[in-house]
Amino acid sequence: MTQTVDEPGPHQRRGQGGAAATATYVFAVCRDGDPAAVAGLPGQAPGAPVRLLRFGSLEAVVQDVPAAEFGQEALRERLTDRTELERCARAHHAVIAAVAAGAPTVPLPLATLYLGDERVRAALREDERRFHAVLERIAGRVEWGVKVYARRETTGGPGRSATVAPARTPAGAPEGPSAAGAAHAATPGAARSVGRSGRAYLERVRGARQERERRQQAGLDAAEAVDRALRGVAVASRRLRTHDTALTGERGTQLLNAAYLVAEGREREVAEAVEEVRSAPACQGVEVEVTGPWVPYSFVDGGGLDARG
Amino acid sequence: MPVGEHVGEVVPWEGPESGAPIGVPLVDLLDRVLATGVVVSGDLVLAIAEVPLVRLSLNALLSSVNERVAAPWGDGGPL
Repeated sequence: MTQTVDEPGPHQRRGQGGAAATATYVFAVCRDGDPAAVAGLPGQAPGAPVRLLRFGSLEAVVQDVPAAEFGQEALRERLTDRTELERCARAHHAVIAAVAAGAPTVPLPLATLYLGDERVRAALREDERRFHAVLERIAGRVEWGVKVYARRETTGGPGRSATVAPARTPAGAPEGPSAAGAAHAATPGAARSVGRSGRAYLERVRGARQERERRQQAGLDAAEAVDRALRGVAVASRRLRTHDTALTGERGTQLLNAAYLVAEGREREVAEAVEEVRSAPACQGVEVEVTGPWVPYSFVDGGGLDARG
Repeated sequence: MPVGEHVGEVVPWEGPESGAPIGVPLVDLLDRVLATGVVVSGDLVLAIAEVPLVRLSLNALLSSVNERVAAPWGDGGPL
Protein backbone atom coordinates (compact mmCIF):
# COMPACT_ATOMS: atom_id res chain seq x y z
CA MET A 1 0.00 0.00 0.00
CA THR A 2 1.32 3.35 -0.86
CA GLN A 3 1.91 5.71 1.93
CA THR A 4 0.61 9.14 1.35
CA VAL A 5 1.23 12.24 3.34
CA ASP A 6 -1.78 14.33 4.05
CA GLU A 7 -0.48 17.07 6.24
CA PRO A 8 1.68 19.85 4.87
CA GLY A 9 4.60 18.60 6.88
CA PRO A 10 6.64 20.17 9.61
CA HIS A 11 8.33 22.70 7.41
CA GLN A 12 6.49 25.92 7.76
CA ARG A 13 9.21 27.84 6.14
CA ARG A 14 10.98 31.04 6.59
CA GLY A 15 8.38 32.79 4.51
CA GLN A 16 7.89 36.39 5.49
CA GLY A 17 4.33 36.50 4.30
CA GLY A 18 2.81 34.79 7.33
CA ALA A 19 -0.17 32.60 6.55
CA ALA A 20 0.52 31.31 3.03
CA ALA A 21 4.22 30.74 3.51
CA THR A 22 4.30 27.62 1.40
CA ALA A 23 2.82 26.53 -1.86
CA THR A 24 2.55 22.98 -3.15
CA TYR A 25 4.65 22.20 -6.17
CA VAL A 26 3.40 19.23 -8.21
CA PHE A 27 5.93 17.25 -10.22
CA ALA A 28 3.86 14.39 -11.50
CA VAL A 29 0.95 12.07 -11.04
CA CYS A 30 1.56 8.39 -10.55
CA ARG A 31 -0.10 5.15 -9.64
CA ASP A 32 1.24 3.21 -6.65
CA GLY A 33 4.40 5.23 -6.47
CA ASP A 34 7.15 4.45 -4.00
CA PRO A 35 7.57 7.24 -1.44
CA ALA A 36 11.12 6.09 -0.75
CA ALA A 37 12.06 6.69 -4.38
CA VAL A 38 11.68 10.43 -3.99
CA ALA A 39 12.10 11.07 -0.29
CA GLY A 40 15.79 11.89 -0.49
CA LEU A 41 15.67 14.15 -3.53
CA PRO A 42 16.22 17.88 -3.21
CA GLY A 43 13.39 18.73 -5.57
CA GLN A 44 12.73 22.41 -6.04
CA ALA A 45 13.26 23.47 -2.44
CA PRO A 46 15.93 21.63 -0.51
CA GLY A 47 14.78 21.13 3.03
CA ALA A 48 11.23 20.01 2.46
CA PRO A 49 10.83 16.39 1.42
CA VAL A 50 9.40 15.36 -1.92
CA ARG A 51 6.35 13.29 -1.02
CA LEU A 52 3.32 11.54 -2.41
CA LEU A 53 -0.09 13.07 -1.95
CA ARG A 54 -3.01 10.78 -2.53
CA PHE A 55 -6.03 11.97 -4.47
CA GLY A 56 -8.69 9.46 -5.36
CA SER A 57 -6.94 6.33 -6.56
CA LEU A 58 -3.77 8.09 -7.67
CA GLU A 59 -0.93 10.04 -6.11
CA ALA A 60 0.55 13.40 -6.89
CA VAL A 61 4.27 13.80 -6.36
CA VAL A 62 4.57 17.06 -4.50
CA GLN A 63 6.79 19.26 -2.40
CA ASP A 64 6.18 22.26 -0.16
CA VAL A 65 8.00 25.24 -1.57
CA PRO A 66 8.38 28.75 -0.16
CA ALA A 67 5.58 30.78 -1.65
CA ALA A 68 7.80 33.82 -1.76
CA GLU A 69 10.19 32.12 -4.16
CA PHE A 70 7.46 30.75 -6.34
CA GLY A 71 5.18 33.70 -6.72
CA GLN A 72 4.43 34.89 -10.20
CA GLU A 73 7.06 37.60 -10.29
CA ALA A 74 9.71 35.63 -8.46
CA LEU A 75 9.20 32.65 -10.70
CA ARG A 76 9.28 34.65 -13.87
CA GLU A 77 12.46 36.30 -12.78
CA ARG A 78 14.14 33.05 -11.84
CA LEU A 79 13.05 31.13 -14.86
CA THR A 80 14.18 33.77 -17.26
CA ASP A 81 17.64 33.34 -15.84
CA ARG A 82 19.19 30.59 -17.81
CA THR A 83 21.14 29.03 -14.97
CA GLU A 84 18.13 29.02 -12.73
CA LEU A 85 15.91 27.69 -15.48
CA GLU A 86 18.31 24.84 -16.04
CA ARG A 87 18.51 24.07 -12.35
CA CYS A 88 14.72 24.02 -12.03
CA ALA A 89 14.26 21.90 -15.14
CA ARG A 90 16.82 19.36 -13.99
CA ALA A 91 15.41 19.22 -10.47
CA HIS A 92 11.96 18.68 -11.93
CA HIS A 93 13.24 15.97 -14.21
CA ALA A 94 15.20 14.24 -11.45
CA VAL A 95 12.06 13.76 -9.38
CA ILE A 96 10.02 12.58 -12.32
CA ALA A 97 12.70 10.13 -13.44
CA ALA A 98 12.99 8.75 -9.91
CA VAL A 99 9.25 8.12 -9.56
CA ALA A 100 8.91 6.78 -13.06
CA ALA A 101 11.61 4.20 -12.42
CA GLY A 102 9.16 2.37 -10.19
CA ALA A 103 5.65 3.35 -11.25
CA PRO A 104 3.75 4.58 -14.28
CA THR A 105 4.09 8.33 -14.10
CA VAL A 106 2.51 11.30 -15.82
CA PRO A 107 4.89 14.25 -15.70
CA LEU A 108 3.33 17.64 -15.15
CA PRO A 109 4.83 20.76 -16.69
CA LEU A 110 7.57 22.64 -14.94
CA ALA A 111 6.27 24.94 -12.21
CA THR A 112 2.82 23.55 -11.66
CA LEU A 113 1.90 25.07 -8.34
CA TYR A 114 -1.06 25.27 -6.02
CA LEU A 115 -1.78 27.15 -2.86
CA GLY A 116 -1.86 24.00 -0.80
CA ASP A 117 -2.48 20.29 -0.74
CA GLU A 118 -6.23 20.70 -0.75
CA ARG A 119 -6.08 22.75 -3.91
CA VAL A 120 -3.95 20.08 -5.52
CA ARG A 121 -6.43 17.38 -4.60
CA ALA A 122 -9.38 19.37 -5.83
CA ALA A 123 -7.77 20.22 -9.15
CA LEU A 124 -6.31 16.82 -9.91
CA ARG A 125 -9.36 14.90 -8.85
CA GLU A 126 -11.28 16.56 -11.62
CA ASP A 127 -8.86 15.02 -14.08
CA GLU A 128 -8.54 11.66 -12.41
CA ARG A 129 -10.15 9.80 -15.25
CA ARG A 130 -7.92 11.44 -17.79
CA PHE A 131 -4.84 10.63 -15.75
CA HIS A 132 -5.89 7.01 -15.66
CA ALA A 133 -6.26 6.97 -19.42
CA VAL A 134 -2.82 8.48 -19.89
CA LEU A 135 -1.26 6.08 -17.40
CA GLU A 136 -2.78 3.20 -19.31
CA ARG A 137 -1.21 4.46 -22.49
CA ILE A 138 2.29 5.06 -21.17
CA ALA A 139 2.66 2.21 -18.68
CA GLY A 140 5.49 -0.07 -19.73
CA ARG A 141 6.59 2.33 -22.42
CA VAL A 142 9.36 4.84 -22.79
CA GLU A 143 10.04 7.74 -25.08
CA TRP A 144 12.94 8.05 -27.50
CA GLY A 145 13.89 11.37 -28.97
CA VAL A 146 15.24 11.51 -32.49
CA LYS A 147 16.58 14.57 -34.22
CA VAL A 148 17.80 14.87 -37.77
CA TYR A 149 20.21 17.56 -38.92
CA ALA A 150 21.30 18.51 -42.40
CA ARG A 151 25.03 18.05 -42.60
CA ARG A 152 26.75 21.37 -42.84
CA GLU A 153 27.97 22.34 -46.29
CA THR A 154 31.66 22.83 -46.60
CA THR A 155 31.84 24.55 -49.97
CA GLY A 156 32.07 28.30 -50.31
CA GLY A 157 29.06 30.30 -51.34
CA PRO A 158 28.42 31.20 -54.99
CA GLY A 159 29.31 34.85 -54.44
CA ARG A 160 32.79 33.91 -53.46
CA SER A 161 33.71 31.40 -56.12
CA ALA A 162 32.05 33.40 -58.90
CA THR A 163 33.88 36.63 -58.27
CA VAL A 164 35.80 37.77 -61.28
CA ALA A 165 39.42 38.09 -60.39
CA PRO A 166 39.84 41.81 -59.87
CA ALA A 167 42.32 43.74 -61.89
CA ARG A 168 45.01 44.94 -59.60
CA THR A 169 44.46 48.61 -60.12
CA PRO A 170 46.50 51.06 -58.15
CA ALA A 171 43.26 52.57 -56.91
CA GLY A 172 42.46 49.21 -55.41
CA ALA A 173 38.92 49.26 -56.73
CA PRO A 174 36.75 46.72 -54.92
CA GLU A 175 35.38 43.71 -56.71
CA GLY A 176 31.86 43.11 -57.84
CA PRO A 177 29.88 45.94 -59.41
CA SER A 178 33.00 47.97 -60.04
CA ALA A 179 34.30 45.23 -62.29
CA ALA A 180 31.71 46.44 -64.80
CA GLY A 181 32.92 49.99 -64.23
CA ALA A 182 36.44 48.95 -65.02
CA ALA A 183 35.17 47.51 -68.30
CA HIS A 184 34.22 51.01 -69.51
CA ALA A 185 37.71 51.87 -70.29
CA ALA A 186 38.59 48.47 -71.63
CA THR A 187 38.40 47.08 -75.14
CA PRO A 188 35.13 45.65 -76.56
CA GLY A 189 36.68 42.24 -76.26
CA ALA A 190 37.25 42.74 -72.58
CA ALA A 191 33.67 43.97 -72.21
CA ARG A 192 32.41 40.84 -73.88
CA SER A 193 34.48 38.76 -71.61
CA VAL A 194 33.04 40.55 -68.63
CA GLY A 195 29.58 39.95 -70.06
CA ARG A 196 30.40 36.30 -70.42
CA SER A 197 31.61 36.04 -66.87
CA GLY A 198 28.45 37.91 -65.81
CA ARG A 199 26.37 35.23 -67.44
CA ALA A 200 28.58 32.58 -65.98
CA TYR A 201 28.13 34.19 -62.60
CA LEU A 202 24.37 34.08 -62.93
CA GLU A 203 24.53 30.50 -64.01
CA ARG A 204 26.64 29.62 -61.08
CA VAL A 205 24.24 31.40 -58.76
CA ARG A 206 21.35 29.54 -60.33
CA GLY A 207 23.25 26.29 -60.08
CA ALA A 208 24.06 26.89 -56.46
CA ARG A 209 20.44 27.65 -55.74
CA GLN A 210 19.28 24.49 -57.45
CA GLU A 211 21.87 22.54 -55.56
CA ARG A 212 20.67 24.06 -52.32
CA GLU A 213 17.06 23.22 -53.12
CA ARG A 214 18.04 19.72 -54.10
CA ARG A 215 19.90 19.31 -50.84
CA GLN A 216 16.98 20.70 -48.88
CA GLN A 217 14.59 18.28 -50.51
CA ALA A 218 16.99 15.41 -49.97
CA GLY A 219 17.25 16.42 -46.32
CA LEU A 220 13.51 16.47 -45.88
CA ASP A 221 13.21 13.12 -47.63
CA ALA A 222 15.87 11.71 -45.34
CA ALA A 223 14.03 13.06 -42.31
CA GLU A 224 10.87 11.38 -43.52
CA ALA A 225 12.76 8.13 -43.97
CA VAL A 226 14.09 8.34 -40.42
CA ASP A 227 10.62 9.08 -39.11
CA ARG A 228 9.12 6.14 -41.00
CA ALA A 229 11.77 3.79 -39.68
CA LEU A 230 11.23 4.83 -36.08
CA ARG A 231 7.47 4.74 -36.40
CA GLY A 232 7.86 1.12 -37.35
CA VAL A 233 9.16 0.41 -33.86
CA ALA A 234 6.91 2.82 -31.98
CA VAL A 235 3.33 2.62 -30.79
CA ALA A 236 2.93 6.38 -31.18
CA SER A 237 4.96 9.27 -32.46
CA ARG A 238 4.92 12.98 -32.17
CA ARG A 239 6.68 15.83 -33.92
CA LEU A 240 8.18 18.41 -31.62
CA ARG A 241 9.07 21.88 -32.76
CA THR A 242 12.36 21.92 -34.54
CA HIS A 243 15.08 23.97 -32.94
CA ASP A 244 16.25 27.21 -34.42
CA THR A 245 19.63 27.21 -36.09
CA ALA A 246 20.86 29.53 -33.37
CA LEU A 247 20.34 26.68 -30.93
CA THR A 248 21.64 23.85 -33.04
CA GLY A 249 24.83 25.74 -33.78
CA GLU A 250 27.49 23.68 -35.48
CA ARG A 251 25.16 20.82 -36.13
CA GLY A 252 23.38 22.58 -38.94
CA THR A 253 19.71 22.91 -39.77
CA GLN A 254 17.41 20.69 -37.82
CA LEU A 255 15.07 18.83 -40.11
CA LEU A 256 13.27 16.64 -37.63
CA ASN A 257 12.67 16.72 -33.90
CA ALA A 258 10.43 13.85 -32.99
CA ALA A 259 9.50 11.65 -30.08
CA TYR A 260 8.53 8.01 -30.24
CA LEU A 261 6.64 6.00 -27.67
CA VAL A 262 8.21 2.57 -27.57
CA ALA A 263 7.63 -0.49 -25.41
CA GLU A 264 10.21 -0.87 -22.68
CA GLY A 265 12.97 -3.28 -23.53
CA ARG A 266 13.01 -2.54 -27.24
CA GLU A 267 16.20 -0.48 -27.18
CA ARG A 268 17.75 -2.89 -29.59
CA GLU A 269 15.03 -2.37 -32.16
CA VAL A 270 15.36 1.37 -31.80
CA ALA A 271 19.10 1.11 -32.27
CA GLU A 272 18.71 -1.13 -35.29
CA ALA A 273 16.17 1.13 -36.93
CA VAL A 274 18.51 4.08 -36.42
CA GLU A 275 21.51 2.19 -37.72
CA GLU A 276 19.59 1.11 -40.76
CA VAL A 277 18.50 4.58 -41.76
CA ARG A 278 21.92 5.99 -41.02
CA SER A 279 23.44 3.70 -43.57
CA ALA A 280 20.68 4.17 -46.14
CA PRO A 281 21.87 6.00 -49.25
CA ALA A 282 19.01 8.48 -48.90
CA CYS A 283 20.30 9.56 -45.50
CA GLN A 284 23.93 10.27 -46.27
CA GLY A 285 23.41 14.01 -46.11
CA VAL A 286 22.01 14.04 -42.60
CA GLU A 287 23.01 13.38 -39.02
CA VAL A 288 20.66 11.38 -36.83
CA GLU A 289 20.83 11.99 -33.11
CA VAL A 290 19.05 9.87 -30.55
CA THR A 291 18.28 10.54 -26.89
CA GLY A 292 16.55 8.32 -24.43
CA PRO A 293 14.94 6.49 -22.92
CA TRP A 294 12.86 9.32 -21.52
CA VAL A 295 9.87 9.21 -19.27
CA PRO A 296 7.11 9.60 -21.88
CA TYR A 297 6.85 13.35 -21.50
CA SER A 298 5.66 13.88 -25.01
CA PHE A 299 2.79 11.45 -24.80
CA VAL A 300 0.77 12.64 -21.87
CA ASP A 301 -1.03 15.42 -23.67
CA GLY A 302 -4.27 13.75 -24.47
CA GLY A 303 -5.31 11.66 -27.39
CA GLY A 304 -5.07 14.03 -30.30
CA LEU A 305 -1.50 15.09 -30.36
CA ASP A 306 0.41 11.89 -30.64
CA ALA A 307 -1.37 11.07 -33.85
CA ARG A 308 0.58 13.86 -35.48
CA GLY A 309 3.35 13.16 -37.85
CA MET B 1 31.12 9.06 -24.25
CA PRO B 2 29.16 11.94 -22.79
CA VAL B 3 25.53 11.22 -22.22
CA GLY B 4 23.30 13.05 -24.61
CA GLU B 5 25.88 13.21 -27.36
CA HIS B 6 24.51 10.13 -28.97
CA VAL B 7 25.50 11.08 -32.42
CA GLY B 8 27.21 7.83 -33.15
CA GLU B 9 25.05 5.21 -31.57
CA VAL B 10 22.05 4.56 -29.46
CA VAL B 11 23.05 4.10 -25.86
CA PRO B 12 20.32 4.12 -23.28
CA TRP B 13 21.05 6.32 -20.33
CA GLU B 14 22.30 4.09 -17.64
CA GLY B 15 23.69 3.87 -14.19
CA PRO B 16 22.26 4.73 -10.82
CA GLU B 17 20.99 8.02 -12.17
CA SER B 18 18.97 6.46 -14.88
CA GLY B 19 17.02 9.27 -16.39
CA ALA B 20 20.28 11.05 -15.76
CA PRO B 21 19.33 14.61 -14.95
CA ILE B 22 22.88 15.80 -15.33
CA GLY B 23 23.60 14.43 -18.72
CA VAL B 24 20.32 15.14 -20.42
CA PRO B 25 20.75 17.89 -23.00
CA LEU B 26 19.04 20.99 -21.72
CA VAL B 27 17.24 21.84 -24.92
CA ASP B 28 15.75 18.37 -25.16
CA LEU B 29 14.76 18.56 -21.55
CA LEU B 30 13.05 21.91 -22.05
CA ASP B 31 11.25 20.51 -25.05
CA ARG B 32 9.70 18.10 -22.65
CA VAL B 33 9.22 19.86 -19.36
CA LEU B 34 7.90 23.03 -20.91
CA ALA B 35 6.15 22.30 -24.12
CA THR B 36 4.34 19.18 -23.11
CA GLY B 37 2.57 17.80 -20.14
CA VAL B 38 -0.93 17.41 -19.00
CA VAL B 39 -2.93 20.55 -19.11
CA VAL B 40 -4.55 20.49 -15.74
CA SER B 41 -8.00 22.00 -15.54
CA GLY B 42 -8.24 23.57 -18.92
CA ASP B 43 -5.61 26.16 -19.55
CA LEU B 44 -3.93 25.95 -16.21
CA VAL B 45 -0.54 24.73 -17.20
CA LEU B 46 1.69 26.93 -15.20
CA ALA B 47 -0.38 28.18 -12.36
CA ILE B 48 0.45 30.20 -9.34
CA ALA B 49 -2.46 30.51 -6.97
CA GLU B 50 -4.79 29.59 -9.80
CA VAL B 51 -3.42 32.34 -11.99
CA PRO B 52 -2.50 30.85 -15.34
CA LEU B 53 0.92 31.93 -16.48
CA VAL B 54 1.53 29.75 -19.36
CA ARG B 55 1.82 31.81 -22.55
CA LEU B 56 3.45 34.66 -20.85
CA SER B 57 6.03 32.61 -19.09
CA LEU B 58 6.72 30.19 -21.85
CA ASN B 59 7.77 32.90 -24.22
CA ALA B 60 10.15 34.25 -21.66
CA LEU B 61 11.49 30.83 -20.88
CA LEU B 62 12.04 29.86 -24.43
CA SER B 63 13.82 33.04 -25.29
CA SER B 64 16.13 32.61 -22.34
CA VAL B 65 17.41 29.35 -23.71
CA ASN B 66 19.47 31.35 -26.05
CA GLU B 67 19.77 35.09 -25.86
CA ARG B 68 20.50 35.48 -29.52
CA VAL B 69 17.05 34.54 -30.67
CA ALA B 70 13.71 35.83 -29.56
CA ALA B 71 11.87 32.56 -30.13
CA PRO B 72 14.22 29.66 -30.64
CA TRP B 73 11.56 27.22 -31.64
CA GLY B 74 9.65 29.55 -33.86
CA ASP B 75 6.22 28.26 -34.59
CA GLY B 76 4.75 25.38 -36.44
CA GLY B 77 4.89 22.93 -33.60
CA PRO B 78 2.19 21.58 -31.38
CA LEU B 79 1.82 23.62 -28.26
